[in-house]
Amino acid sequence: MSTASTSLPSGPAPRGAGAPVLEVDDLRVQFRTDSGLVNAVNGVSYTVSERETLAILGESGSGKSVSAQAIMGILDSPPAEITSGRIVFEGRDLLTLPEEEQRKVRGPGISMIFQDALSSLNPVYSVGFQIGEMFRAHRGTSRKEAKQKAVELMDRVRIPAAKQRVDDYPHQFSGGMRQRVMIAMALALDPRILIADEPTTALDVTVQAQVMDLLKDLQRDTGMGLILITHDLGVVNEVADNVAVMYAGRIVERGTVDEVFGNPAHPYTDGLMRSIPQVEVKGGRLQPIGGQPPNLAAIPSGCPFNPRCPRRRTGAEAATGRDCVTDVPPLRLVVPGREAACHYSEEVFGA
Amino acid sequence: MPDASSGSSAADPSGEVDRALSEAAASRPVHTPGDVLLEVRDLKKHFPLTQGIVLRRTVGHVRAVDGVNLTLRRGETVGLVGESGCGKSTVTKMLVALEKPTSGQILYKGEDVTKMSGRALKQYRREVQIIFQDPYASLNPRMTVGDIVAEGWSVHADIAPKKGRLQRTQELMERVGLNPDFVNRYPHQFSGGQRQRIGIARALALQPEVIVCDEPVSALDVSVQAQVVNLLEDLQNDFGLSYLFIAHDLSVVRHISDRVAVMYLGSIVEEGTDAQVYGSPAHPYTQALLSSVPVHEPHLRGLKERILLQGDVPSPANPPSGCRFRTRCWKAQDICATEPPALVDRGQGHPSACHFAEARAVVPTE
Repeated sequence: MSTASTSLPSGPAPRGAGAPVLEVDDLRVQFRTDSGLVNAVNGVSYTVSERETLAILGESGSGKSVSAQAIMGILDSPPAEITSGRIVFEGRDLLTLPEEEQRKVRGPGISMIFQDALSSLNPVYSVGFQIGEMFRAHRGTSRKEAKQKAVELMDRVRIPAAKQRVDDYPHQFSGGMRQRVMIAMALALDPRILIADEPTTALDVTVQAQVMDLLKDLQRDTGMGLILITHDLGVVNEVADNVAVMYAGRIVERGTVDEVFGNPAHPYTDGLMRSIPQVEVKGGRLQPIGGQPPNLAAIPSGCPFNPRCPRRRTGAEAATGRDCVTDVPPLRLVVPGREAACHYSEEVFGA
Repeated sequence: MPDASSGSSAADPSGEVDRALSEAAASRPVHTPGDVLLEVRDLKKHFPLTQGIVLRRTVGHVRAVDGVNLTLRRGETVGLVGESGCGKSTVTKMLVALEKPTSGQILYKGEDVTKMSGRALKQYRREVQIIFQDPYASLNPRMTVGDIVAEGWSVHADIAPKKGRLQRTQELMERVGLNPDFVNRYPHQFSGGQRQRIGIARALALQPEVIVCDEPVSALDVSVQAQVVNLLEDLQNDFGLSYLFIAHDLSVVRHISDRVAVMYLGSIVEEGTDAQVYGSPAHPYTQALLSSVPVHEPHLRGLKERILLQGDVPSPANPPSGCRFRTRCWKAQDICATEPPALVDRGQGHPSACHFAEARAVVPTE
């Protein structure tokens, strides 16, 4: 997909953001499995700037987590393989660097937090030791000093009585507190990019609100770029500046949250907005998207969304070169600041 | 993955299943719509905490459910919301007679379920079915879909004569939007949403009156969630089912429920119609809960009042005295520590278990 790279410079200007820090360009990831080649990420491009919050919105199997894992270099390979693309962090393409070099760049520069804090923490080490590990590994700090830093970080993520709790083990913390421990670890070396993969999905709504608030405050203080991977449209709307909607390993729509949610230009985004109930008002009948999400080992030809799309046009109905079943729609500019990968975006956008 | 779902449009209104189910509905004693089907009175479940391996001593109790009252009327949907650990799943287990309550009553058509045994209990279990949250764990991976759906009939043989069972199974599958040709497939060949449809077909097979839905859409993708919610609504309209709908997603609960009960740490803190609970919540916990729900419309962002609760839910093994929410409540006063507030109407139009209940709009309305 050549369009992915050409669309980069013309991409929407991030709201309230500074200089670009991370640039992902035409990233492709495949998994070789017994049941065939699974195309998890098929040409994804985006940039994240200082102070920007970019939400990657998608359902399970859309490739949103895999693309993040590729950035972090934590894909299990085999079976995973990055077949093409560039991941440029502060001017250097990580994928061309030797592994040891990559580690030195990523370690302090890019951090990630995961959905399941309990399984992401080591149960046999105290949280203080695990937070301090960042300093010991990357800065060569002494144990004593690292522990001191751990207390400071725990204070910063608002864990009450940090000094007393620094020697506690992960199981002694509640879900929300564990997620804070993870955030403390991620922030230890003052990263320029924080990738949060479904950070609040396992948490209750009241705790979710606390954690999202914390992330926002920390971002304001440090100026880091935040990549928020989620399936929750509400979370995206409340915290993100820009959003990229993913489907079948591709970005199908991108723009500011206000514009994308306020006036979708891709039938998939539009369908998502219509299919979720509102808390403010008891609406009428939900309008679900028909069918099932695609199998990544057998992505439909043409537009991957075409079997579920209410606006699909094929054969005689379709314009030349814009047949939804045979022609892959490129991610293109629909209106300034908005890109969508649909042959008939203008119709969706107006509707 | 094969697209086994033929969509809800595949519903076959003239099908055998529908006829059987509506016949079953017709043969029931005549009830005026809205009469009480299921009533829960002061239901409690305390799990003992034990210590010692040889000599087991009980050192305390986890008060998972501590005095819950609920009423479910015919044809109605009652939503039960609450965060993890509030006891909502324990309530469902007691309702389907998988757990025995420590005390309290569950009255089904006036009969106490906790005292039922033998034939009465068997009949109760047929009429009150359950749909589970996890469509992966709740289907036996070694059984075909057809066997899963038809399994209940081996206990309740009177519902479906042996001869027509395959056909009935296929009709049920069609009714819930699955391709009936897939009757011999195994659960792993289906997606999450399709598996949840299998679970629904299994519940419907026994022609129930009440279906307890324990987080039926929580494990599903957004685009598939709406399909299942719509299916549940259609089935309710067609067969006059009553639902007890348990979920932590407040938007889904509002959408599907006629009445809503909010649970916190083992008891119900507020109850009312969906408009009352969501539109003018009077309990501080309900207000905080609603204010934490992220809204997905950009124009409503920031309009909502933000109530950020401090701290975590206390342990149900050692709940706070008096009002259980007082440790996180901004309204708490001395009386809250000594006197548990009753779930009554204090002038706000619907019952709320707070000494200082006061209706307040939290969620913006358009």
